[in-house]
Amino acid sequence: MDLAFHDIRQHLGRFLATLIGVGLLFALVLAFNGIYRGFLLEGLSFIKTTNPDLWVVERNRGGPINEQSILPEFYHYSVAAIAGVAQASPLIFFPVERKILGKNRRFAIVGYDVFGGLGGPQNIVAGHGIDRAHYEMVAHKKLGVKVGDMIHLGLHTYRVVGLTSQGSDVDGEPLVYLSLPDAQEVLFQRDNEEIRNQRARLLQTLTRSVGFSGPQAEKYLPRLLPDTHIINAVVVKLAPGADAGAVSRQIQKWLYLSVYTTGQQVNLMLRGKLAKAKAQTTLFRIILFIVSMVIISLVIYTLTMEKIRSIAVMKLIGAPNWVIIRMVLEESLLLTCGSFLFGLILISNTYQLFPRRVVLLPGDHLITFLIALLGAILASGLGVRQALKTEPALALGGQ
Amino acid sequence: MEVLKIEGLSKIFGTGRLEVRALEDINLAVSAGDLVALLGPSGSGKTTMLLCTGLILDPTTGKIIFDGKTIFQKNGWSGGVDIRRLRREKMGFIFQSHNLIPFLTARQNVLFPLSLVGVKGEAADHRLMELLEYMEIAERADYLPALLSGGEQQRVAIARALANNPRLILADEPTASLDTIRGKKVMELLKKIAKENQSAVIVVTHDVRMIEGFDYVYHLKDGHLHHQVG
Repeated sequence: MDLAFHDIRQHLGRFLATLIGVGLLFALVLAFNGIYRGFLLEGLSFIKTTNPDLWVVERNRGGPINEQSILPEFYHYSVAAIAGVAQASPLIFFPVERKILGKNRRFAIVGYDVFGGLGGPQNIVAGHGIDRAHYEMVAHKKLGVKVGDMIHLGLHTYRVVGLTSQGSDVDGEPLVYLSLPDAQEVLFQRDNEEIRNQRARLLQTLTRSVGFSGPQAEKYLPRLLPDTHIINAVVVKLAPGADAGAVSRQIQKWLYLSVYTTGQQVNLMLRGKLAKAKAQTTLFRIILFIVSMVIISLVIYTLTMEKIRSIAVMKLIGAPNWVIIRMVLEESLLLTCGSFLFGLILISNTYQLFPRRVVLLPGDHLITFLIALLGAILASGLGVRQALKTEPALALGGQ
Repeated sequence: MEVLKIEGLSKIFGTGRLEVRALEDINLAVSAGDLVALLGPSGSGKTTMLLCTGLILDPTTGKIIFDGKTIFQKNGWSGGVDIRRLRREKMGFIFQSHNLIPFLTARQNVLFPLSLVGVKGEAADHRLMELLEYMEIAERADYLPALLSGGEQQRVAIARALANNPRLILADEPTASLDTIRGKKVMELLKKIAKENQSAVIVVTHDVRMIEGFDYVYHLKDGHLHHQVG
């Protein structure tokens, strides 16, 4: 005889209300699982989309995504000259906030060698890739632009020639691909007023403080003005059979730069920018889980206490302990399974509404469910303990 | 044949100045088909005696022989005796406040002890209908206890106590929550059960009006079994 089922039927309203309440908490636990997976997916998206064999960055920097890295543009020629390197391309990756079609939007600019270089857009879903040296862009469709739109960035206007569906920056913002010189101009070129002011300031410094004559100062001036020919990394494709470790050591030794494989870049991110997000979401998941278990535990304890006299009667008429333990445990498991199912259905139908990407994985659901079942068994412990402590004499109203 | 024999049973609660001698040197023998009344005022030790007899409370000293087998001697339960199994297979309990399980229907309350001894399916249904018809409660079988009257609840409780054909039925003030007419009906039913089922029935009560026709009447006073009427 299934005592738990009959007891739940008797207290159906309260049971369902608790199930919905705990189900909402489980929905949050599952949402946080998905948010965490989303963080990982978006955080590693650009690395995995670009996916070169090696990333060459500024010495002792974990760039270009986990932290800033600045290199002179011409370094890619030096990297290309290293034995074992089949191709080396300059790359810019720079998160910005600019006005797009009248609205402030956050996105990351990727500048790359559009004539056969590495690091360009993947999976173009509309239009085509950039095939001119200037004034064309490919944007992620999340940016909300369409092919043919004219987008003003910096000093110039760029035509959207293609849309991609792949890749985002660490914060989940869309990517915008430009040719390398366009990206350098958008990101590093000062406006004309700023250039004029800086020229005047430098001329004064050279003539008054250093003691140069006017013509001498004019001669040195271009070398002192800010240079836009900078990049964030050089991405490398290795020659067939080349050893990544050996090539990396060569670049580090001779070019005085840091080198990472794509796997090492991923680890840099996991230990760096994504580490705190991971810790934060894990902590939230644990707290929500504990709260869920405490609620289930209290509900099961209350349900057990309400039928303590019935339990005494059962013991008095000879019911073995396992019959009583089964009843308490079944109620706990039913509540947990029902709540989990409610939470799963809820989050599966609402995850698209979250502002950042939520990635729901069956494996995560299964692990959460198994932990929840274990929690349910532990949560029923309080009720089981109380049930086992109950004296059968209580049924007679005494002792 | 003797179903229950109690020899020199005592129960002492507490020690020293707080010591209470609830039962002292109790001797009792009950045979199959016997209807025994245990009378006494509040605090006389009636419930304690019922608890010891029902193997719920450990006696301090004495001997309990059930169905010819010694199950308690001097100061301990005999090894190998599964007390709870003995209760579910050979004893039936009827309570003052009926004590039906509130979330089970009348039918399920009676089926519960049957399920504990492994009687299921048709055999259980057959026994259930037999009991409910015997108690004249079959038409209320699917009602929850809260929807039954006091008398109906007590009849379901008696049906539950009889489910496994117990050798001994222990009834604790079974008429206390019923009016006189219904109380007498319950007592008549217990007499009928004792004779027809050949079960030994011990009824604890303080109401002398209810014990008409009982085989033995014992008076319990200050822990002593005083008086015996044949």
